[in-house]
Amino acid sequence: MSAAVDDELWSAIGDPTRRRLLDLLLADGSGTATGLSERLPVTRQAVAKHLAVLGRAGLVRAMPAGRERRYRVDEEQLARAIAQLSAVGAAWDARLRRIKRIAEAIQQERDQHRDRETQ
Amino acid sequence: MEYGSIEREIYVEAAPEVVFEVVSRPEHIAQWWSDEASFEPAPGAVGELVWGEREHVAAIEVVKAEPPRLFAFRWGHIGEDPLLVTFELTPSGTGTTLRLTETGFREMGWEAAKLEEMYRDHVSGWDHYVPRLGEYVTRLVSAS
Repeated sequence: MSAAVDDELWSAIGDPTRRRLLDLLLADGSGTATGLSERLPVTRQAVAKHLAVLGRAGLVRAMPAGRERRYRVDEEQLARAIAQLSAVGAAWDARLRRIKRIAEAIQQERDQHRDRETQ
Repeated sequence: MEYGSIEREIYVEAAPEVVFEVVSRPEHIAQWWSDEASFEPAPGAVGELVWGEREHVAAIEVVKAEPPRLFAFRWGHIGEDPLLVTFELTPSGTGTTLRLTETGFREMGWEAAKLEEMYRDHVSGWDHYVPRLGEYVTRLVSAS
């Protein structure tokens, strides 16, 4: 069965610049659009837009800091995004293990059958 | 639009013919996936995958059936974009290497498998920022 996945969350995290932003915020604890743009090959305006997308998906939260806003990663929401992704992959891992077990049981049965016939 | 995908490979100690039957026949799919499966394992055939008392129903359409090498189908819950699942079978020693690909994933330009890799093994998949995020994720997971 397919895992229910929040499309907004996925699309937010699907962009490489936004993943870098998340990573910088995780490493530093928090950051502003200006500070983050100095460490990435994109403009402050672009960073602000990406932060807004991450904010709408609940992945970052903003606090006023002087004339700017300071962003932090929402750890619960990030953990949720990762859990959803891994659930999809884990579902296939479980299905493949069952496929393996069923196919190997059928093969063993056929081999035994063939052995009996040749004896 | 870029499509995300999941890729997996598993070794099965059984002949490709046997593995092909297991991945393509409805009676077997009903053992390893849905509670019930009804479709003809032939290209173009359309059927259903059913869970529980029809609590979840997905449509399935066979795209390719080339025994014992390739079986591909589209599936999706009503109202969702269908996903394409491909099983490729390669003889390997006394058994079969079974390769699974699921694509069309959310159409979000995102490879689910990549984040998982990072999540599990701290593998640096995207760039040098990734390992740090990987460690963070591992912390989260071990804390939960």
